[in-house]
Amino acid sequence: MTNNREKDDNRPLLSRTLRGIGVSPGIVVARVMVLKRQSMRAGWYHLPAERIEHEVERFTGAIQAAGEELVHLREKLAGDLADALSIIDSHLLMLKDRMMVERTMAIIRRNNVNAEWALAQALSEIKERFDQIDDPYIRERFTDIKHVADRVFGLLAGREHEPIAGADDPLILVANDFSPEDTLRMRAGNVHGFLSEKGGTTSHTAIVARSLGLPAVVGLEHATSVFATGDLIVLDGGTGQVVLHPEPAEILQRQESDRRNRAQADELDRYIHLVSETVDGYAVRLSANIEMLGELSAVLRYGSEGIGLFRSEFDYFHGRRPPNEEQLLATYRQLLETMAPHPVTVRTLDVGGDKFLNRFPGNKAWLDRERNPALGLRSIRFSLYERDLFRSQLRALLRASVYGRLRILLPLVSAPIELRQVKALMAELMTELEREHLPVAADVEVGMMVEVPSAVIMADVFAAEVDFFAIGTNDLIQYSLAIDRGNQYVAHLYEPFHPAVLRMIRQTVDAGHASNIPVSLCGEMAGDPLCAPVLMGLGLDELSMRPAVIPRIKRLLRHSRSGELQQLAKRILRCGDSDQVRDLLAIELPNLYPEEYYQR
Amino acid sequence: MDLIVGNERGVHGRVATRLAEIAAGHGVVLRIRRGEEMAECSSILDVLALALAQGTAITLLAEGAQAEAALTAAATLITAQDDP
Repeated sequence: MTNNREKDDNRPLLSRTLRGIGVSPGIVVARVMVLKRQSMRAGWYHLPAERIEHEVERFTGAIQAAGEELVHLREKLAGDLADALSIIDSHLLMLKDRMMVERTMAIIRRNNVNAEWALAQALSEIKERFDQIDDPYIRERFTDIKHVADRVFGLLAGREHEPIAGADDPLILVANDFSPEDTLRMRAGNVHGFLSEKGGTTSHTAIVARSLGLPAVVGLEHATSVFATGDLIVLDGGTGQVVLHPEPAEILQRQESDRRNRAQADELDRYIHLVSETVDGYAVRLSANIEMLGELSAVLRYGSEGIGLFRSEFDYFHGRRPPNEEQLLATYRQLLETMAPHPVTVRTLDVGGDKFLNRFPGNKAWLDRERNPALGLRSIRFSLYERDLFRSQLRALLRASVYGRLRILLPLVSAPIELRQVKALMAELMTELEREHLPVAADVEVGMMVEVPSAVIMADVFAAEVDFFAIGTNDLIQYSLAIDRGNQYVAHLYEPFHPAVLRMIRQTVDAGHASNIPVSLCGEMAGDPLCAPVLMGLGLDELSMRPAVIPRIKRLLRHSRSGELQQLAKRILRCGDSDQVRDLLAIELPNLYPEEYYQR
Repeated sequence: MDLIVGNERGVHGRVATRLAEIAAGHGVVLRIRRGEEMAECSSILDVLALALAQGTAITLLAEGAQAEAALTAAATLITAQDDP
């Protein structure tokens, strides 16, 4: 390892805590291995004539070594991963391509420059050619070419062969982003965690890490420059905290807290199979928010009683074009069959038109310039505008309905006319399906998201038109407090305990119950142990949350009495600001849940 | 040999990879011509840079002892709608 700070430097190392997004829980203490992407930082050196052939050899040596790495990687993967193998095959061809190899050699010889610089030049010529390609799918192959070039850059910089294989010490991999091959290497036994600069909770890295059960933190900016290979860190994949150069005491403390988390998880496991109701038998359905089929195993593992929110966007964004009816049907059918007899709530496409058209360029380029996308052509408005897309989603949903218990959820409804338009369309589709002899279940429920203030104020009118309400607090808070949570200057004003938010929840619940329809809530509040008791007291029939937090919320519910919850909610509703709400909770929750809150 | 690209995602990485393998496997020089542009199938990047989307008309050329066999295999691959 070339830059082991602890050896080069005699100053004491200061412990430092950084924060990213925890995407796969667990705490690990290990040294890091930084996978650098340094293609853009290749320095320029002019070389004397007698050094040129040596430089060419250094380059061809790196190409050959990169090829050996890829072949080695290919051999390690048995035939179970056909897709991955074919990626490696095309990477091998790219690596040996004349545009990569011969071009770089020519640049070294002609300009008397170092190999890194020449390769960067060759790469930018390739990029220029690919940038001209209209077809987005083929154009994106440049990413693969870059991954291949990065491997060569790494070898030119003196990285050892296959750094991960061979070393037996536990490692945490750090990278800007993980390539498909890095992801495969993550299977190596000595990789104990991941840290990346890019990515969110649904990034490739996050999904792979969760499925491997390894802690991961993503979205930590500048991670590859802050950390050097060999640095000792503590990585907390739950909170997203990363401690560089931890003190021995800190390591012990983190390991202890990991042990406690695991013990607590074991204790919580006992709640998975218990009914979700209060001590006095008042039931609240605890269901899961998910966005892809891969999460179903977690849904079942944590004892969820249905899917309270299936975000249907994934099918629209992981392919090269929008999905057809049959593809959607396959997804919905699997969802319903897996969860039956529990209900599955599928939210229809909930995206901004701008995002959608960026992904699948149509002729509506003007949408790119929407001034105010949060108030623009999105969600149900977009679906009603792009009717063909909406028709195929609704048809797929209706056809899937015979495989379980389906609830269709319409996002961002703000006026009754939108509901009526959807209903008219659905009636049309039902006739169509009947003509085609395709069966539809008789008990399909249609509900709406309550996430716009107008929907709350008119909830009594809406309640007469739908089968259920689902309050989406993330958007409701944003729209009613006029706060963009992504804006660092106002994000601190985003406040779930704003009395306006709590009163709107109450108003929606009351309007729903007056019309005998159930009301659920599916924002982040639902899975927050501080909010959940309040929400239960406000009378919600269902709370939908990340699958992993269900056991914890269920434990709270099972230690509650409905009368106490209602009393708590009543007092909360009298608070004039969010501080009062928090003060009240700080006093009341430890009384209600001594086990939960006296630990800390 | 004149052909129309059949794959719905065009001649993408995996198709181009197979083309290179066909050329190497038959020991021939396999070329694709699209209008004025020409690419040799041994270079995956050249082939990708032709940006052959579904429906593109191309001409396939082969030189070598097994040219016929290579052309047949390449044509089957390029005109197929499904991924290899």
